[in-house]
Amino acid sequence: MRGADYIVKRVVFALLTVFVAITINFALFRLAPGSAVTNLARVPHATPETRLAIKRQFGLDKSKFQQYWIYLGQLFRGNLGVSFANSQPVATNLRTALINTIPMVLIGTVFAILLGTLTGVIAAWRRGTKAEGASVTTALAFYSMPTHWLGLMLVILFAGVLPTGGMSNEFLLNPSFSTHVKDLAEHIALPSLTLGLVLYGEYTLIVRSAMLETLGEDYILTARAKGFRAGAILRRHALRNAMLPIATLVALSLGYIVAGAILVETVFSWPGLGRAVYDAVLQRDYPMLQGAFLLLTISVVFFNLVADLLYFKLDPRITT
Amino acid sequence: MSSLLEVEGLNVWFDLEGERELHAVQGVGFALEPGERLGLVGESGCGKTTTVLGLLGLLPPSASVAGSVLLNGVDILAGGEESIRPHRWVDLAIVFQGAMNALNPVKTVGSQIVEVLELHERARGREARTRTSELLESVGIPADRAERFPHEFSGGMRQRAAIAMALACNPSVLIADEPTTALDVMVQAQILELLDSLCRDFGLALLLVTHDLPVVAELCDRAAVMYAGEIVEHGPVDALYHEPRHPYTRLLFAATPDLYGEGVPASIPGAPPRLDRPLVGCPFHTRCDRAFGRCTHERPLLRELEGSRSAACHLNDVVAEVV
Repeated sequence: MRGADYIVKRVVFALLTVFVAITINFALFRLAPGSAVTNLARVPHATPETRLAIKRQFGLDKSKFQQYWIYLGQLFRGNLGVSFANSQPVATNLRTALINTIPMVLIGTVFAILLGTLTGVIAAWRRGTKAEGASVTTALAFYSMPTHWLGLMLVILFAGVLPTGGMSNEFLLNPSFSTHVKDLAEHIALPSLTLGLVLYGEYTLIVRSAMLETLGEDYILTARAKGFRAGAILRRHALRNAMLPIATLVALSLGYIVAGAILVETVFSWPGLGRAVYDAVLQRDYPMLQGAFLLLTISVVFFNLVADLLYFKLDPRITT
Repeated sequence: MSSLLEVEGLNVWFDLEGERELHAVQGVGFALEPGERLGLVGESGCGKTTTVLGLLGLLPPSASVAGSVLLNGVDILAGGEESIRPHRWVDLAIVFQGAMNALNPVKTVGSQIVEVLELHERARGREARTRTSELLESVGIPADRAERFPHEFSGGMRQRAAIAMALACNPSVLIADEPTTALDVMVQAQILELLDSLCRDFGLALLLVTHDLPVVAELCDRAAVMYAGEIVEHGPVDALYHEPRHPYTRLLFAATPDLYGEGVPASIPGAPPRLDRPLVGCPFHTRCDRAFGRCTHERPLLRELEGSRSAACHLNDVVAEVV
């Protein structure tokens, strides 16, 4: 089979990347200034004895190498540790945050991909017209907007019509399933829209340039000489070839979905992973940070792998 | 009786920045009878390819085209895209330059032939694949290569595949735009031989666009020499070679390396005139070795001469007066 070697090579490379990233994550947070104990103790004038006791409790008195070794061992058994901040298992904290984040970021990203692809294709197909100018200018404008500013503008615009914070209306007691879904959809609208609008411009620009490059190729002229209509050329020859760079971009951005969106989640008080990471940084919650970054690493590496394999599938010219 | 393909007064202008225009093709006309082979020759940038793309309506939107293209007496250019499209590939098929990228790199060679058979409803499904195999074999490519991608073919095989693709709908005119450029000499010879035998076997009329005079001499009955967007001389290949009636034709032949001849090929000094401003006098007079007073201010028109040929040069008047 074509590419069995290729797949094995890619997978091994991906696993290696994850291991290196785990190591770097471990080291990185311990290099950050400040100490977990200062925050944990929450008493600025704690006696040295108290501090030492707390350090012992969390294993921070051991050498960095010992800590690393223990971390790897536990990780291998699937134990991500206990959060310094709320003493809950990190895995539980991450799961809750992830479940909140994924629908919001996924909707925003899918919205961005669809809108970006559509406007990008139109810009390329109608090259030199007002449609292209409008499409590119709008895309650039949204691309340049600070996420939190756009979020605030949407809050100002839609406050009163749509909820602007949180995931659900806490005053709904025992809502029926349909009411609950409707409530959730209303809450998810603004954060997803903000994220989608900020992200879509990049897709427009990349899809446009990929399409323009493809449309200038000789085989497009061949397709026209064959007697195909414009629409058929777009579908049969242009889109498929322009998909190559776009597929990579889509796979890579799916990888970042688990990272959440710190700014959006902060503006809209969305209890997702982005905010969890932000809080963990403030509290020097090493296990939580390590867990979150591990999750992000695995996700990014996994989708990179998907992008590689997809590219391999789409472009017959790629060889091992 | 009307010719198979008759091009009359074809003009192409390209829009440039600042309301300017480039007059790339200037009143080109020629006719092609069934089975006839016409070579369109000239140096790079003289408008050969633009002429061909113009008559097929394949130029980009920045180009405006005027003139008529009569296919069996019917003007296919008059109705725009809608009137040309049904004739593309069915009546007028084209083989592009190099074929390097003329085939889509992410589709198999076979599927690119099948798609054109299906588009013009010549065959579908299994039947189309069988026909594709036959086509590939007719140009010397084993049928099992249909499932391969263009990058798995050599340059010569890609060119053959492009020719097979052009034959898919049994066109009456085959247009070949620099079919042998970028191929090595051995492969060039094979491709020319292939074109020659296919034209004979299928009774195809051939419009061969090239800068390579020996290729025209080998393959064509007639040739039209283009310079600065217009045809400056047109006639039987032998007559053009032995008795050119335009200095450009003579210098062009002199610039071609001759395997058996002695001496170095002579280049033509200077460059063609810019086409984004009106031309005064003969477009060639600045490079011509026989230009005289009239050439600098009066533009020579393409005039019919004896022996079914024509040329656009004032010298022909002088000779006529002298003789």
